[in-house]
Amino acid sequence: MTEPLLSAERLTRVYRLGEEAVVGVQEATFSVEAGEFAVLAGPSGSGKTTLLNLLGLLDTPDSGRLLFEGRDASSLDETSRARLRREKLGFVFQAHQLIPVLSAEENVAFALWLRELPEQQCRSRARQALRDVGLEGLESRRPGALSGGQRQRVAVARALVGEPALILADEPTASLDSATSERLLDLFVELHRSRRVAFLFSSHDPRIIGRARRRIDLIDGRIVSDVTVSPAGTIPTAAPPSGSGREGTPS
Amino acid sequence: MSGRWWKLAARNLGRHRRRTVLTGSIVVIGFIATTMTAGFVSQTFTGLRDVTVKGLGGEIRLVDPRAAGKTDDEAAAFLLESWEAVARGAAKDPAVVQAMPRLSFFGLVVKGDRSAGYLGTGTDPAMEQRASSLVEAVGEGKFLADPEADEVMLGTGLSKAIGAKAGDLVTVMTTTPDGALNAVDAPVAAILRYPIKELDDRLLYMPYRPASRLLKAEGKASSVVLLLKPGADAAEVAGRIAESLKRDGRPVVARTWLETATFYRQVKLLYVSIFFFMGLILATVVILATANTMTMSVFERTREIGTLLAIGMERGAVRALFLREGMLMALGGSVLGAILSLLLRAALNASGIELPPPPGGTHGAPLHVDFIPLAYLAGFVMMTSTLLLASWWPARRAARLDPVEAIAHV
Repeated sequence: MTEPLLSAERLTRVYRLGEEAVVGVQEATFSVEAGEFAVLAGPSGSGKTTLLNLLGLLDTPDSGRLLFEGRDASSLDETSRARLRREKLGFVFQAHQLIPVLSAEENVAFALWLRELPEQQCRSRARQALRDVGLEGLESRRPGALSGGQRQRVAVARALVGEPALILADEPTASLDSATSERLLDLFVELHRSRRVAFLFSSHDPRIIGRARRRIDLIDGRIVSDVTVSPAGTIPTAAPPSGSGREGTPS
Repeated sequence: MSGRWWKLAARNLGRHRRRTVLTGSIVVIGFIATTMTAGFVSQTFTGLRDVTVKGLGGEIRLVDPRAAGKTDDEAAAFLLESWEAVARGAAKDPAVVQAMPRLSFFGLVVKGDRSAGYLGTGTDPAMEQRASSLVEAVGEGKFLADPEADEVMLGTGLSKAIGAKAGDLVTVMTTTPDGALNAVDAPVAAILRYPIKELDDRLLYMPYRPASRLLKAEGKASSVVLLLKPGADAAEVAGRIAESLKRDGRPVVARTWLETATFYRQVKLLYVSIFFFMGLILATVVILATANTMTMSVFERTREIGTLLAIGMERGAVRALFLREGMLMALGGSVLGAILSLLLRAALNASGIELPPPPGGTHGAPLHVDFIPLAYLAGFVMMTSTLLLASWWPARRAARLDPVEAIAHV
């Protein structure tokens, strides 16, 4: 039996707002397998982004454990966490978060610069990643000269170029119109199919939720359901009872 | 490998061109101010050194060991026994151009029924003309010419005190080392306009030989003053000559012009203090301006920094990125500052602007700003270290940002 890519064991994150304690995530337990296409769904303030930040090693849990490929990642030091992020994870944010003074190609290559790979290799891989997201011919343009959808594709290429095991995407369609969102989702699906890279989204966008193969619902920081939908992509009308693990394919 | 990071730092500086240009201008001005001030101060020191050396008649003064450390009055009793032998011994050194006798004495100078105290110097007229600026101080009459002639030159203040002018006959009275009174009648060859009033009121010069006859001290001298070739190290030559004369059985104390020039040392210390204080103000201005620019830059790029941290950039690399921006600003500002400084220096040196005399000098000189390579290096080091210091705190702040908060920053 292979190790899950990522395992969260009773992850809890509590914020302090003055005297008040606000629960961001409470005892979240689930795992992500290699090649999954899953979404963390829930209303605003349900803890989707907080959980995604914990899984992406951007934040530290107050309690619980996070295992990455079977190794405990929650106790890693700052440098090791940064290395894990740049080598194993890809990030796509709500806003594209590109560096405005770099071209599209350089923005993508940036992820490889962090690994100190030779410039030639960084450049050729960046160009390939841009081709993969349909931006061939726009390599030299800076973010300011690209549309919102194109910028988000550059961000996807940046996340992909390092060939991560898992891409974490936080509300990737939130700042896009619906046509652009659809095209971006088509791209995610295509990349998932062709590369078998795992995707974990956080979103309340029904278009993303509708295409996910697995849906993890959160309310007030708790996982209330974890459903793997049928290969046809339909989501069951009745949510299974909340639990700490995967509920399996619904009937 | 790091070329890409320098390139990124350079592009980041170009994001807010106006702000970068403004901050860079401060660096440029700071660099120009440093190098130009150093060049000007260097010229002033050179002028002051020349005035000082010319005032002393040479770079090294040889005196009898018994006179060393004594006041002029006390030292007057301790003369070098055979100045010519000392001069010959000293002149063997290849750095020595000439060795000139000086005989100090004092007494009264009288014209008619008016008299005044004087401080006299017996000297070799030809050597004195060559070594000192005294000839430039002649206001009336002619400089001493005949080394055997009984004639004097008086300071303007002294000549007024006794009502003498060039061509008048005066009586010079003094006491010999044995305590006897002696006097000689001598015509006034010239009236000197000496820049220091206290000396101008007492100054009297006459050729060495009549002066030594007046003092009944033929062959003796208060000191032998050595004029050196340009560029010779006075301290080194002084040590060499003192050693050589000691071996010859004629021990002397050799003092360099710098050891005796208290005024020069005080003026230099003052200038250096002013220069240091100015540098401190400049550094403060540069630090404040740069720190402000960098802090604003970090604030504006908070989300971007959060993203860089999120995608795996290490905190040290984020800090280094901002420090590189500071370094580039220092480098760019220094290069531009150096070019402008050289152009400004060329323009000023060609302008022919006349400066007032340096302290203790009698004549002004055209403005000349020296080229001091060390000042350019110091300017670069100062600007770089200042900008690194100014960038350090903003860079540290950037590196310590929490990526989650930074990404959510609005």
